Amino acid sequence: MRATGTLSAVAALTLLWGSSAGPAPATVRVPERPHGHFFAGPVERPTLTPPGARAPEPPPEFYFTRAAYTSWRRGWGTQNWAIDYPKADRIFLSFIARLLPNIDAYDEEHPVLLDDPDLRRFPFLYAVEVGYMDLTPEEREGLRGYLEAGGFLVVDDFWGSREWANFEYQMSRVLPDRPIVDLPLDHPVFSSFYEIDEILQVPNVGQGRAGGPTYEQDGYVPVVRGIHDENGRLMVLINWNTDLGDAWEWADDPFYPLRYSTYAYQLGVNMIVYAMSH
Amino acid sequence: MEQLFAFLFKYRPLLFQEGELALAAPWPRTTAAAVALVVAAVALSTYTLARGRTRRTDRVVLATLRMLTFAVVGLMLLRPVLVISTVQPQRNFVGVLVDDTRSMTVPGEDGATRADWVRAALTGEASDVFERLGERFALRFYRFSDATTRLADPADLTFAGRRTELGEALTRASEDLAGVPLSGLVVLSDGADNSGRPLAEPLRTLQAAGVPVYTVGVGEAVLSPDVQVTRVEMPRTVLEGTSLLVDVVISQHGFAGRTLPLVVEDAGQLVAREEVTAGEDGEPVVARVRFEAAEAGPRLLEFRVPVQDGERLTRNNMREVLLDVRDRREKILYFEGEPRWEVKFLRRAVADDENLQVVVLQRTAANKFLRLDVDDADELAAGFPRTREELFAYRALVLGSVEASFFTNDQLDMIADFVSERGGGLIVLGGRHAYAQGGYAGTPLEDVLPVFLDDESGAPGPYFERFRVEATRAGRLHPVTRLADDAEASAERWASLPEVSAVNPITRLKPGAVALLVGRPERAGPRPIVLAQHRYGRGRVLALPIQDTWTWQMHADVPVDDLTHETFWRQTLRWLLDGVPDAVTASVERERVEPGESLTLRAAVADSAYEEVNDARVTAAVVDPAGDTTLVRLDWTVDEDGVYEGRFTPPEVGLFEIDVTATREGRPLGSDRSYVHAVVSDEEYFDAAMRPASLRRIAEETGGRFYTPADVHQLPEDLALTGAGVTLTEERDLWDMPVLLLLLLALIGAEWAYRRARGLV
Repeated sequence: MRATGTLSAVAALTLLWGSSAGPAPATVRVPERPHGHFFAGPVERPTLTPPGARAPEPPPEFYFTRAAYTSWRRGWGTQNWAIDYPKADRIFLSFIARLLPNIDAYDEEHPVLLDDPDLRRFPFLYAVEVGYMDLTPEEREGLRGYLEAGGFLVVDDFWGSREWANFEYQMSRVLPDRPIVDLPLDHPVFSSFYEIDEILQVPNVGQGRAGGPTYEQDGYVPVVRGIHDENGRLMVLINWNTDLGDAWEWADDPFYPLRYSTYAYQLGVNMIVYAMSH
Repeated sequence: MEQLFAFLFKYRPLLFQEGELALAAPWPRTTAAAVALVVAAVALSTYTLARGRTRRTDRVVLATLRMLTFAVVGLMLLRPVLVISTVQPQRNFVGVLVDDTRSMTVPGEDGATRADWVRAALTGEASDVFERLGERFALRFYRFSDATTRLADPADLTFAGRRTELGEALTRASEDLAGVPLSGLVVLSDGADNSGRPLAEPLRTLQAAGVPVYTVGVGEAVLSPDVQVTRVEMPRTVLEGTSLLVDVVISQHGFAGRTLPLVVEDAGQLVAREEVTAGEDGEPVVARVRFEAAEAGPRLLEFRVPVQDGERLTRNNMREVLLDVRDRREKILYFEGEPRWEVKFLRRAVADDENLQVVVLQRTAANKFLRLDVDDADELAAGFPRTREELFAYRALVLGSVEASFFTNDQLDMIADFVSERGGGLIVLGGRHAYAQGGYAGTPLEDVLPVFLDDESGAPGPYFERFRVEATRAGRLHPVTRLADDAEASAERWASLPEVSAVNPITRLKPGAVALLVGRPERAGPRPIVLAQHRYGRGRVLALPIQDTWTWQMHADVPVDDLTHETFWRQTLRWLLDGVPDAVTASVERERVEPGESLTLRAAVADSAYEEVNDARVTAAVVDPAGDTTLVRLDWTVDEDGVYEGRFTPPEVGLFEIDVTATREGRPLGSDRSYVHAVVSDEEYFDAAMRPASLRRIAEETGGRFYTPADVHQLPEDLALTGAGVTLTEERDLWDMPVLLLLLLALIGAEWAYRRARGLV
C-alpha cells in the first residue's frame, strides 16, 4: 500500500524521466542510474531468517517466494521488499489452495534473499516496490544466476516513470543484454488457466476502497512487460502501474472492488501455472 | 596313438567301433571247450603234483602264467574275427560338396590358396583320395555357395561365391541323392557359414536319414597376423541429432597389446576416431565410438582399422553399415496430474531438440487441463486419451504424479498395451501421486514397471528422503545416463550432481530389469532406485521414482551453462523413442546384397490402433540410384498376421530406397522407408580362418569324421565302413594281431624269468 499524497510532486518530476515511461523499446538501451529519490532515505539491507531452517519435510512443490532485496529506505518502518508482507502472501496462498486445488503449495510467506544460494531451490519469485530497489553486486549476481538457470521473477506494485527508470536501470545491470518488451494479450500467460482479455489497473487499497482514481504518480496506463532469455523464454514478468498485491491482500475486504481482486487472482494463478510449465 | 593302435591290433580303432567281434573257429565250441578243459586239467595237475624245491607260491605263479599262455593260444585257435559291413564297390553313391566361395581364395602361409589344394585334390595331383573313393563309390560332385549346383568338372569351380550356406548345401545334396543308395557326403570347405541360419535343422534331417557327413577342413585355423572389424552394433534408424555410442568388435591375431586406430567415415569424411588396445591374440575387444547422426538421410558409414604391417588379409579391416538418419518430429505425451516444476524444466531441457515434440497435458484443477505444444485445438481436448487410436498416435508417454484412480480401467489397460503391443516408450516419474502412493498396486501399470512397488525399508509413516545419485556399472555408459565418453568420467559427473528427493520408496528391481542410477543415502539399508529400465512386450519402460530432476538444472552448485539436465532428458526421451515402430514398418531381409541377388522386402502393417491388418494393399516403390522407380507388390504371408512380403532384385550396384505404402479400402494406413545397398560383398573375408569346431560338429552329429588335408587319405576306407547304402558283410581275422603274439611272448618270457630268478631252471 502506498500513500497517494505525493502525486503532484511526482507529476512534476515526470518531465525529467519522461523518456523512459513510454512503450517498452524493442532494442536494448542502457539506462542511466536515476539520481535517487527525493523522499528516499539511506540504503538498507534486508534482514531475514534463512528459509532452509523453516522448510517442512517433505517440502511442498511450490513456494510463493518473496524476493528480499536491498533498497532505499522510505521512512515508514517497513522495508520496500516487505510491503504488504506477510498478509498479502498468506491470503494469496489461501486463495490459491482453492483455485488451484491440485497444487502442492507451502501455505505461509516465504521470503528469500537474492544473494542466498538457496534461492535456486524456489523457481518462482515475487518482488514488489522495485522502484526503490538498489541491488548489491552479490544480489545482482544471485538474481542473474537464478534467472539464467530457469527461475521466474514476477514484479509488481511500482508506478510511474521514475520508479520505472530505477527498475529498468537495476535490471539492465542484472541482465545487461536483455530488452524489456510488452507482452501482448495473446501471450500464453494470459490464457494458461483463466482467459484474460484485458489488462486492468489494480489500485492500492486506499484508492480502491475510496473509488478514486486507480493510478499513482504518472502511471496512468497499466502494462505487462517481460524480459526473455536468449531462447525467447520469459524470465521476468513485469506488472507496472498496477498493484496486484493489494488486491490479493484486501480480497476479503467488502469495500475493495471485487473486479480488481478477481483480475489480480486470475493473473496470479495464470502466472503460477505459466511459470511451472514454461 | 592311432598308428600304434593300428600296429598292435592290425586295424584302426574306427573298424573296431563300426564292426562286431566274433569267433569263427571251424570246430564246434563245445568240442573246443572240452579240449581246453582237458589240456588245462593236465597242465594244472602237473604243477600240483610236482614236488622238489618249489614252494607253494612258486607253483601258483607258474601255473597261472601257463594257464594264461594256454588261454591266449586257445583264443587264437578259436579264430577271432571282426565282422564289418562294408559297401559294395560301385553300388553306392557319395556326394562330394565343394565350397565355391571367395573365402577359398585366401592364401595360406606358403602362398597357395585353399582353392589350389581343392583343385589339386580333385584332379588327383595333391592326393589320391578321390581316385580311391571313386574305386569304391559312384561320386557325384556339387559346388556350393549361396546356391548348390552339380559340378561336372573341377575346372568349373570359380571360387567367387558371395556367401556360404552350408546347411542349405547339405540339404540340397542329400535331397538330390535321395533316390540312390547313399553312403555319405563329403564336404570340402573352410567351414565358414555366413548364411545366418542355424545348422541344427539340416543336421537333424541328415541324422534321421542316416547320412554321415565327412568334412575336410581346408585352410589354417588361425590367420596371423590379421586384424578384423568383426561386428558393428548400431541401430538401423535414428533421429537426426542423436548422439550415437557404437560398439565395434575388433578381433586380431598377432597384434596382442598393440594400439590399433579405428576410424569412422561417412562418404569419405572423418566422423570419429578412436584408439583401441588389442587384447590377447584371438580375443575380441570392444571399441566404443561416439559420434552424432548429424545429417539426415541414408548414411553409409565405414568402420575401418587401417591395414597394419604384414596383415594376411586386408579386406576384413572394414565394415560398411547403413544408417537411416531420420529428420522428423516424434511426439511424446507428458501427462502430469498437478502443477509441477518437472513440466517446466523437462520442456526447457528438450526445447532445442527439433526432433522431439513433447505434448504436455497437465491437470491444473479438477477436470481442467493445460495443453501445451498440441498440433491443433482438438488434440487432447477431452483430457487423457480415451481410445487406443488417440493414445497410440504418440510414440512415448511420460507419466507424472497422477493417481491411478484418475484413469478408467480401460485407460490403464491401454497404457499397458501402449507399451506391450504398440511398442511405445514409457517413463514413470516419482511424485506424491505416483507408484504405490498413487494407488498403482494391482493395476495393469504395476506389471509394466521395471520395479516392485512395495517398500522393503519398512520405515513407518510417509516416506521422504534426499540423496545424491550414483550411476551403476550398467548406467555409466548407457545411452540414457551416459554423461561423458568414458565410464569413469560419467560416474564422477553423476556423483557430483546435487541431491534429489523421493517420496516413493522403490528399492527392488523386477527380474530382467536393470538399474541405471541408484541413490546414495547416508543411512544403511537398501538403496533407493533412481532410474531403472526393462523391456515390456514390444516397448521400453523406464522408472524414475524421484520427483525433482530439475534441481540438476536449478541448484546453485550447478553452473548456469551446465548441460547435464538437458543431456539427461534428451537422451532419455530419444532412447524411449528408439525403435518405436510405426503402424507400417518396412524392412529388408538383408541391408547389403549383391547386384542380381534376389531380396525379400517385408512390411508389417497395422491400423492406427496397432491391430494387424491382413487385407491391406501394400506396395513398395523401389527407387534405384538413377532415380527410376520400380513398383513391387507385397502380399500377405498368411502365416503371420499383418506381415507382407515381396521380392526384388537390384540389377546394379548402388543404394536403393524402398518406400512402402499400405492402404485399406482406399484409405492410407501408413508408409515407411527402408534402404538396401547393392554391393559386391566382402562377407566371405570375415572370419575367414578355417573353423575346425564347426566342421567337426557337423561330422560328429551325423556320424561322420573330420579330416584335414594331412589325414584325408583315411577317408575312402572310413567311408566304406559307414554301413550306409548297399553293404556286404566281411570277416577280418584277428588271430594274427601282433598284440596276441606279443602277449604270448611276454607270458612265456615271464615264466622263464621267474624260474631263473627262483633258481628253478
